[in-house]
Amino acid sequence: MMTYHSISDLVKLSDEKKLPMWQVILKADAKERQVDEEDSMAAMKQMYQIMKQTDADYDKELVSPSGMAGGAGEKMHSYNQSGRNLAGEYIGIVMEKALKTSESNACMKRIVAAPTAGSCGVIPAVFLAYEEYNHMLEDRMVEAMFITAGIGSVIAENASIAGASGGCQAEIGSASAMAAAGLAFLQGGDNECIANAMALALKNMLGLACDPVCGLVEVPCIKRNSAGAVNAVTSAQMALAGIKSAIAPDEVIDSMRRIGNDMPSCLKETSMSGLAVTPTALAIKAGL
Amino acid sequence: MNIFDIIGPVMVGPSSSHTAGAVRIGLISRKLLGEPVKKAEILLYGSFLATGKGHGTQKALVAGLMGMEPDDNRIPDALELAAAYGLDVIFGEAALRDAHPNSVQLKLVGETGRMLEIIGESIGGGIINIAQIDGIATNFSGDYPTLVVHNIDQPGHVTEVTSMLAHKSVNIATMQLYRSNRGGDAVMVIECDQEIPKESISWLEHIEGIKKVTYLSLSEGGTLQTNKGKGEKYDDISFNK
Repeated sequence: MMTYHSISDLVKLSDEKKLPMWQVILKADAKERQVDEEDSMAAMKQMYQIMKQTDADYDKELVSPSGMAGGAGEKMHSYNQSGRNLAGEYIGIVMEKALKTSESNACMKRIVAAPTAGSCGVIPAVFLAYEEYNHMLEDRMVEAMFITAGIGSVIAENASIAGASGGCQAEIGSASAMAAAGLAFLQGGDNECIANAMALALKNMLGLACDPVCGLVEVPCIKRNSAGAVNAVTSAQMALAGIKSAIAPDEVIDSMRRIGNDMPSCLKETSMSGLAVTPTALAIKAGL
Repeated sequence: MNIFDIIGPVMVGPSSSHTAGAVRIGLISRKLLGEPVKKAEILLYGSFLATGKGHGTQKALVAGLMGMEPDDNRIPDALELAAAYGLDVIFGEAALRDAHPNSVQLKLVGETGRMLEIIGESIGGGIINIAQIDGIATNFSGDYPTLVVHNIDQPGHVTEVTSMLAHKSVNIATMQLYRSNRGGDAVMVIECDQEIPKESISWLEHIEGIKKVTYLSLSEGGTLQTNKGKGEKYDDISFNK
C-alpha cells in the first residue's frame, strides 16, 4: 500500500520500496486521484510554472487597496543589486522573491496557495532562487515540489495549515518546513536529512501567532514570508551539515498541533490581539 | 489528502476565504440561476462586511456572478466589467442573525426575469457552503451536480424526483429535506454523482405541486456573461486600468 500518514511512513516506504521519497508521494497521488503518474507530474509542473509566472509578473508600482503593501520586493531587488548584500547572494534572492510573491497576493494577482495564500511566497522564493542560482533543470525542481507537497499533507493531516485553527505557525511554519525539506532533497540530502530539515524549520516557527492588522493578509504576513523562506534555508543547511532535530520529526508536528489548540482564539486570525490592536494598527483601520 | 490542495489551488489573492471562496459563491449562484445575471443585490455580513474591501470580496463576488473562476486574472476589474456588460450591482449590509462570519446574501435577477435568493458562506480554504435558497435552509458545497426542488409539503414529491433520477441512472450522493411548516413550503437538496439531463429538469418543473426547480450543473462551462447587444464575450476583451 502506497499510503502515508506521517513523516516516518514516508521514510519507511521510500526505504522499503527502494524509491526516492518524491516518487512515493507521486505514486500515492496518482493512486488516490486515479490518474496517470504523467498527469500528476504535469499538474505539479504547472503549479511550479505558475509560481514562476507570478514572480516574473511582479509589478513594482502595485499598492494594495489598504495602502499597507507594495514596493518591498523592488526595494530588496535594488539592495541586492547594490553590491552591499549583507546576507549573501542566494539568501538575497530568496528574500526578494518571497516579498514579490506575497505582495502580488496582497494586490490581487494570481498565485499558487502553498499551502495557503497567506504563506504563498515561501516555497516559490527558495525554489525559484535555487533554480536560478544553481542553473537547475526544471524537472528536478518539480521532483522537489512533490517532497514539499507530501510533507505538507502530513502536516495538514496531523496538525493544521490554517491560521484560524493553528496560528501563523500553521501557515508560514508549515510552508517553511515544506520548503526546507525540498531544499535538503535538492542539495542531495537523504531521507533522514529531509525529515530533519523539516523538523528544524518547523521547530523554529512553533508558537507563531496570527495577528494580522485590519484582518488583511499584509502585516505582518508579507515580511514574514521572507523570514519563513530564510528559515527554510538555514534549517536545510543545518540538516545537510548533519545536525539533527533532538525531537523526532513527527513529534514536532504533534507539538505544533498541541500549541495551536492551546493558543487563544484572539491570536488565531481574529485580529483581536498582538499587532492588530496596536495604536498604529487601529489608526490604519480607522482610515480604511 | 489531495496534494494539490496543499500545493494549490491557483487563485487570485489575497485570501482563500475572502477572495477565492467569494468567487466560488458568486459562480455557484450564477450556475444555480441558470442564466446570465442581469441584476444583483449583494448584501455582506460579518467579516465579509468588515474586511471585504481590503480582500477584494466585492470584486470577487461580482466576478463569480459573471462566470469567472477563482484564478481569473480579470477579478480585480470585475466591477468595471459588470458596468460595461450590463450587470447591475447594488451592495449593502445583510440583516442576518447568527450567520457564519463570512456570509453573503445574494438577490439575483436573470436576463429572462428568473429570480433567486441565496445565502452563501465561505468556510475556509476556498471551500463554500450554500446555506439558504429562497429563504429555506440548505447545506451543500457546489462540488457535485446539485438539484434543488421547491415544492408544496405533500406526499409523493420525493418519490417523483428520486424515481426520475433512478430512471436516468443518476446516483444520489447526499439528500436533504427541509420544510417551513406542515403543508407549507418544502425543499429537497440532492447532490448527485452524475449530471441530470436537461429534459428531466424541465419535466420536473411541470409537475403539479412543484414550485421551482434549480439545478447546479458542473459541466456547464464557458457561461461567461455576454453583452447581448454587441454579441461579444468579455472574454475577448481586456481591461487595462
